[in-house]
Amino acid sequence: MLNRGYYWLITALAVPAFLWLIPTIWMVSLSFQPNEVLARTTSTTAFGLIPLPFTIENYVALFSFGQTPLWFLNSLIVAAGMALGVLLVSTTSGYALARLDFPFKKSLTIICLIGLMVPEQAVFIPLYTMFADLGWHNSYQALILPRLAVPIGVFLMMQFFKAIPDDIEEAARLDGVTWLQIFWYVMLPLARPAMMTLAILTVLYAWNDYLWPLVSAQRQEFFTITLGLASIQSNFAQSEGLGRVMASGVIASLPVVIMFLIFQRYVVQAMTVGGSKG
Amino acid sequence: MPEKHTSGRRMTESQAALVLLLPFLATYALFLVYPFFRGIWISLHDWNLMAVAFNPDAKEFVGLHNYERVMWGKDITWGALISPVQQVIGVLGFGLSIFLHRIGWVSKVTAVALGVAAILLFVLPGFHPAEGGRWYDRRFWPTVGNTLIFVGLTVPGVVVSALLLAAAVNRETRAMSAFRTLFFLSQIMSVTVVTLIWQIMFSPRQGLIANITETFGGSPIVWLTDEHLAMAAIVITTIWWSLGIAMILFLAGLQDISKDLYEAAALDNATGAKAFWHITLPNLKRTITLVIVLQVILQFQVFGQAHLMTRGGPNDSTQVLVRYIYQTAFRDSDLGRASAMAVFLFVIMGAFSVLQFVLGREED
Repeated sequence: MLNRGYYWLITALAVPAFLWLIPTIWMVSLSFQPNEVLARTTSTTAFGLIPLPFTIENYVALFSFGQTPLWFLNSLIVAAGMALGVLLVSTTSGYALARLDFPFKKSLTIICLIGLMVPEQAVFIPLYTMFADLGWHNSYQALILPRLAVPIGVFLMMQFFKAIPDDIEEAARLDGVTWLQIFWYVMLPLARPAMMTLAILTVLYAWNDYLWPLVSAQRQEFFTITLGLASIQSNFAQSEGLGRVMASGVIASLPVVIMFLIFQRYVVQAMTVGGSKG
Repeated sequence: MPEKHTSGRRMTESQAALVLLLPFLATYALFLVYPFFRGIWISLHDWNLMAVAFNPDAKEFVGLHNYERVMWGKDITWGALISPVQQVIGVLGFGLSIFLHRIGWVSKVTAVALGVAAILLFVLPGFHPAEGGRWYDRRFWPTVGNTLIFVGLTVPGVVVSALLLAAAVNRETRAMSAFRTLFFLSQIMSVTVVTLIWQIMFSPRQGLIANITETFGGSPIVWLTDEHLAMAAIVITTIWWSLGIAMILFLAGLQDISKDLYEAAALDNATGAKAFWHITLPNLKRTITLVIVLQVILQFQVFGQAHLMTRGGPNDSTQVLVRYIYQTAFRDSDLGRASAMAVFLFVIMGAFSVLQFVLGREED
């Protein structure tokens, strides 16, 4: 395969790849330039793609005052809470639907999966009124709870548990082990890769979620980093300085980018399964 | 096995299933099923967010009045050539769907879906207020139109570029895997980071695009405040953002095409573009249809880009459905009308979900 055509292909792909990267490079580069310079011009060196003059002042400022660290922490809490919750409800129900026999199993499966059709935009108004009645807005539970009812997680786990050979379970059952013990001691350890996939997918989703936090969190103390970034980008030039806003953008993307680079295989797998079926 | 849970030993299979299903069923019922029906219920009421928050009885049952107020008007009539462009495209599209099915390019389901879409494109734009009449909500249908324009521009852009890229990087080498990572990277950024970058990219004063045009003697383009270019800017941003997942799905589809087909074709001197046209495309038909349907579902929900980059403007030219729902609910406090629009959104998206499901089941 490694013929001349291949090297020609690499060269041909390098151009769109570079164009594709430019916006990201530009954000990173601007975040390392002094605000006074950026107020005059954004294209000092190589259209601003190289951070000269260089400074890390924007990042220092970001973490010494302002609310970015708090928003960052909120995002971590919400993402972790959501991932744990989704894992809990998806593994248990996925196992029951895939491997246990009980009355109305088929109709229950359909009921659980039909929710895939309902987009979040169709339920965010009633959810808003429900949480308002409970007085739960501006809280972690308001940001986390509505996102636990995701049929795609059940679907992913169900598919996984269905693929496990019967004899593993059979052997345990002959030893007189209860159903819940089989689930906990036999099935869950086997399901680690699928749980990993689901957890990563959920963290990505939680981190980047925008519409629901926008209506639910009105107080800045409960902003996630995604929401906080939206709130400062509208008036970046006057208040914060372009360099600092760009630094916030870099900080907001860093965790998901790093996670993606480490767990790329899982993310791609999740997207493929989730995309073609859900 | 540890000897804990001895009481669970007597638990039957059905009881165990119930215990295990309970956490999901509870959250599902509370946070998806109930809100869904409550949304329909709200849409049947005159329901002001503020008034009902202070006094729960301050709502009034009005039946389908909200739907009428959103979608209908006074003295609405229908004509065959009111919006000639859309309606002619509708007629042509209907013919095209029959033709494509006849020559075997698309399956029956796809042909029916295309046909229905074409008929709607012919029928819906024909409605208009007669002399002295008016729409009750002047902004609703133009907003739906903007959303459709956005979907109509973004989806082909994403699908074509993702398909070409996927075909190019579909090799197991280190360089190609680096390209895959790179093209996917923008997908995992949040909408606020993406709009932050592109808002400034497009800025006529500070933007990279303006800086480059000025260097070559051009005058900077005011992308986001120009009625005709604002939508284009949002479409470009969205293609950059959401190409990754389409590429991944195409790559998965490409893996399923047997290498033998390409080797056989190579014997007939069909390589490169020829092989792409005669082998890749026909064998990827199912994946292409699925990706298109998925992208339509995804892009129809567009909100952040329009909300953050242009605020729906200038002059409502980038106002999209979800943003209109959001504004009607949380700026105008009119939850009844907003919920009616949300139900409308659900019906459209639900139709596409059904289509996706049927297509996923088709063949094999």
